[in-house]
Amino acid sequence: MSWKKDEDSDDLSVLLSIDKSTVLQEARIFNETPIRPRQCRLLLAKLMYLLQRGDSLTTTEATGLFFSITKLFQNKDLSLRQMVYLAIKELSEISEDVIMVTSSLMKDMQPKADEMYRGKALRALCKITDPSMLPGIERFIKSAITDKNQAISSSALVSSFHLYGIARDIVRRWSSEVQEVASGKSSTAGFSFFGSSNSSSVSSASSGIIQYHSLGMLYLLKQGDRMSIAKIIQNFSGNTRGGSRIENPFAHVLLIRYAVKVMGTDPSMHDSLYSLLEEWVRYRSEIVSLEAARAIVELETPPVKLITSAVSSLQSSLSSQKAVVRFSAIRTLDALSLKKPESVQPCNMDIESLVSDSCRSVSTLAITTLLKTGNEASVDRLMKLMEGFMSEISDEFRTIVAEAVGNLCIKFPQKHTAFLSFLSGALRNEGGFEFKQSIVNSIFGLVKSVKECRESALAHLCEFIEDCEFSRLSVQILHFLGTEGPATLMPSIYIRHIYNRVVLENAQVRAAAVLSLAKFGASPQADGKLRSSIIVLLRRCLDDHDDEVRDRAVWALKFIEDDSKITRYIRDDSTYILQNFESKLVDYIYDPTNNFIAPVSIASIPKISREQDSVANVYIKSQISLETSTFANSPKIGIDSRAHQAGTVNSHISINDINAVNLLKSIPEFEPYVCYKHVYEKYVVFQFECTNTISESILEEVYVDMLSNDGLDMLLIPYNVIAISELVYNTPSFAYVSYQRADNETIANGSFECILKFKSFECDPSTSEKLDAEDTGFVDEYLLEPIELNEADYMLASFIPEWKSLWNDLGDNSNGENNEIISSFQLPHFTDLKSCVENLVVALGMFANDTSLNPTNKVAHQAVFMGLFEAKIKVIVRARMTFDQNTGVTLELCVRSEDPRVSNIVVSSIA
Amino acid sequence: MNGLIQSLLEWLRSLFWKEEMELTLVGLQNSGKTTLVNVIASGQFTEDMIPTVGFNMRKVNKGNVTMKLWDIGGQPRFRSMWERYCRGVNAIMQAFFFTSYTLILTFFSFYSFVVDSADHQKLEQARAELWTLLEKPQLSSIPVLVLGNKNDLEQSLTVDELIDAM
Repeated sequence: MSWKKDEDSDDLSVLLSIDKSTVLQEARIFNETPIRPRQCRLLLAKLMYLLQRGDSLTTTEATGLFFSITKLFQNKDLSLRQMVYLAIKELSEISEDVIMVTSSLMKDMQPKADEMYRGKALRALCKITDPSMLPGIERFIKSAITDKNQAISSSALVSSFHLYGIARDIVRRWSSEVQEVASGKSSTAGFSFFGSSNSSSVSSASSGIIQYHSLGMLYLLKQGDRMSIAKIIQNFSGNTRGGSRIENPFAHVLLIRYAVKVMGTDPSMHDSLYSLLEEWVRYRSEIVSLEAARAIVELETPPVKLITSAVSSLQSSLSSQKAVVRFSAIRTLDALSLKKPESVQPCNMDIESLVSDSCRSVSTLAITTLLKTGNEASVDRLMKLMEGFMSEISDEFRTIVAEAVGNLCIKFPQKHTAFLSFLSGALRNEGGFEFKQSIVNSIFGLVKSVKECRESALAHLCEFIEDCEFSRLSVQILHFLGTEGPATLMPSIYIRHIYNRVVLENAQVRAAAVLSLAKFGASPQADGKLRSSIIVLLRRCLDDHDDEVRDRAVWALKFIEDDSKITRYIRDDSTYILQNFESKLVDYIYDPTNNFIAPVSIASIPKISREQDSVANVYIKSQISLETSTFANSPKIGIDSRAHQAGTVNSHISINDINAVNLLKSIPEFEPYVCYKHVYEKYVVFQFECTNTISESILEEVYVDMLSNDGLDMLLIPYNVIAISELVYNTPSFAYVSYQRADNETIANGSFECILKFKSFECDPSTSEKLDAEDTGFVDEYLLEPIELNEADYMLASFIPEWKSLWNDLGDNSNGENNEIISSFQLPHFTDLKSCVENLVVALGMFANDTSLNPTNKVAHQAVFMGLFEAKIKVIVRARMTFDQNTGVTLELCVRSEDPRVSNIVVSSIA
Repeated sequence: MNGLIQSLLEWLRSLFWKEEMELTLVGLQNSGKTTLVNVIASGQFTEDMIPTVGFNMRKVNKGNVTMKLWDIGGQPRFRSMWERYCRGVNAIMQAFFFTSYTLILTFFSFYSFVVDSADHQKLEQARAELWTLLEKPQLSSIPVLVLGNKNDLEQSLTVDELIDAM
């Protein structure tokens, strides 16, 4: 052991002594005759070490070196040859005229050359070549892909992977070769390079690495074509007869990723994906089963059964001998515990044993997982454990721990003293910005949720800013002190800390401190004494040499003595509703009548307080995640607010102005398409997004022929059809069909038959030019799924910040109007409340918050939905539902809106 | 007897002075450089239609001499790099003089300029390229051989005509 150490240090000193100028000097030996292979090899190694270390060569130096190195070509010494290839690859980015070696490298990769270096020559060749030279070497690469020798084939595949970026069209022509390799038909004489035994685990991992490379390449080639990717996955999953077996674990991991990517977004494939994952998670190879488990956990709505099998597979991995297996298992469990803590609980015993794991990363994750899954009783014990090793782990993990504690604070507010002491302890320790930020955020969250600990938490924060190296954090904390501090019993104790900042810190922090002081002075709790001392402090700030600090001090002094001004400028924390503001601006731009003479007025935009704003933001966030999940499950349409708003103001809207996006449904066949529906005051527009997935053809005059059923002709008058004049491969374009609404009082709903009609022409895949200019094209049509237009399409799902008061106002029928409709439904086909709520969201097309969407009680639930009908009439729906084993779900809808007609429409959308 | 001594001397010489020399071939594209190298190396004429991209290096063993033939592509984009390879030849020449000056006469290092004597249009261009090369100060001490290739074709120039043209 000891001699080994000596050797190491020797090596290190040799390496450190290498510098660029000596290497460049010594490069003269490359020009010597005869060549001394050993010296040259050593020098090349030094050169590469320099480049790896980050030394940079100028272009002239690199070019000089490069040309000297070319002198070494065709040497008999095999190792030198390989070194030369490596050096060329390294220099190819910096040196000029690297294509000089093209011919020589081509010679070296010919089948008659030695197998030892053919692959390497190929890699170097692909690195130095450019798109203009590629056609010349194309056939060599093609034959190398299907070469019997795995190393060569792998090199060819990896090289083409890199070439794809610079010469897509040429590389695409190699797909049949890649396919052949991926299916394993040509690799009969594999393994020659990696040792022939399959017994040891190392060789079994590396054997068939070619499958990994070819699968990756195949995916790259076909990535635009979901159908063929799905076919590849089916082919490898071993369910079909004659399918290929996947042998390489890396390739298998790749396959899992692709499967999730392609099949996860398509509801019709979910079942087959689930069964594949179920099979893979039980796979013998650790890496495969871990990847499958990870994929399951990352699914948006994994079935419970699948999670159970993933968890049990991970549970057995937890006791693995290998630290890396334990690590990835616990990491996956940790991710799962965020989403579904209850499903991880069966593993808690095993995870507890990992807390004392020798690998710090594993134990950290174990603790954070336990924190999420555990109950209140175990919190104290875990916190103590964590304090013990916070100093021993890296910042990244400390951040994870801090975030976990932050989440816990909200979960168990009773334990706040334990959390606070832990967080403040962590705050005092060394750590990077991210770590400190996450602690500070956790403390903020704690203060907001648990009022009792406010004063001690603020004291800890004050202590922290006394010695804080991160200005950004100081600013945040000063702001927080300004909002929370004045309401405490003894606000004056914080003022000293804040004023210290004015004296000691940089301008950014000083400015924040001034504002914080002003807030203390302006607070309603401040007595005359406090206020006058604040004024003294602020006066001192007037001499500051930074403009911003002075300005803020002047501003604060101006208002601090006048109560009416204080309420207006300092205490008022209201803000405009930004979405409304945005749509107003959009309206302004699209309105042709105003000629931009009148200024935009913000008086009509409603104001909300900060609190309401943050609540609304949370809802908008959840709405986004909700949308992605509901769209995956259902062919559901809404209306985008901007398009709708634009439409209500402007009845002569040109079709190209539409911004709305909403997913209808994509069918992964010949023409994947998405339909967006836009409903305007006077028009209804269907926007079809079409993509041509066949590289050998160009489509022209693509349009959608829509036939309405259900007697819609009276209500919707065909207005315009806009065709796509030319649809080239993989470039999505839009076709439009628009209808005029006969009267905007009646709601048109029904379904449309859609036929996609087009002319197809053959073309050259590389240039997208028609093969035959005289070709008149082949007229074809294609039946699309019928499109439904229903009540929900007229509804804009939107959170109404003041919904509670509005609900009461609308329910109050003292003024003679009855805006409320109550109606009951018996829905025997639902087996639980959750599915009922989900269906309601789809049918109503309205916004619902998390508590409405996730019934906590299995027997009874109340959900609130809100939206804007035709983007202007506010509608609120309260749904009460009960569940009974025998009768199914009983639903009572109470609809209140500003217009009784609308309430009727909403009710009819359920019936 | 004389012949025996001669061959014995040859053998001895090959034992002590196994020399390497370098020769760079330049010229306009499609003038027959790669074909010439192939003929020298393997003795066979092959119709190689692929233009050389960059350079080609062949080693030829003749007796005790190993000849490295650098065949540089003739397309315009490679012409700027001719000089580099010719310069390398120069450096080796100097090293060689110091070590074994007795053998100067036997081994000569040079670069040859191959001219396609059948292609009249390109003659002027070839002349210009040859002269730019000759004017380089670093190459002043290196012997040049101008080779008129493809003289089996009917429209080819005679030797005198070629000398005039160059």
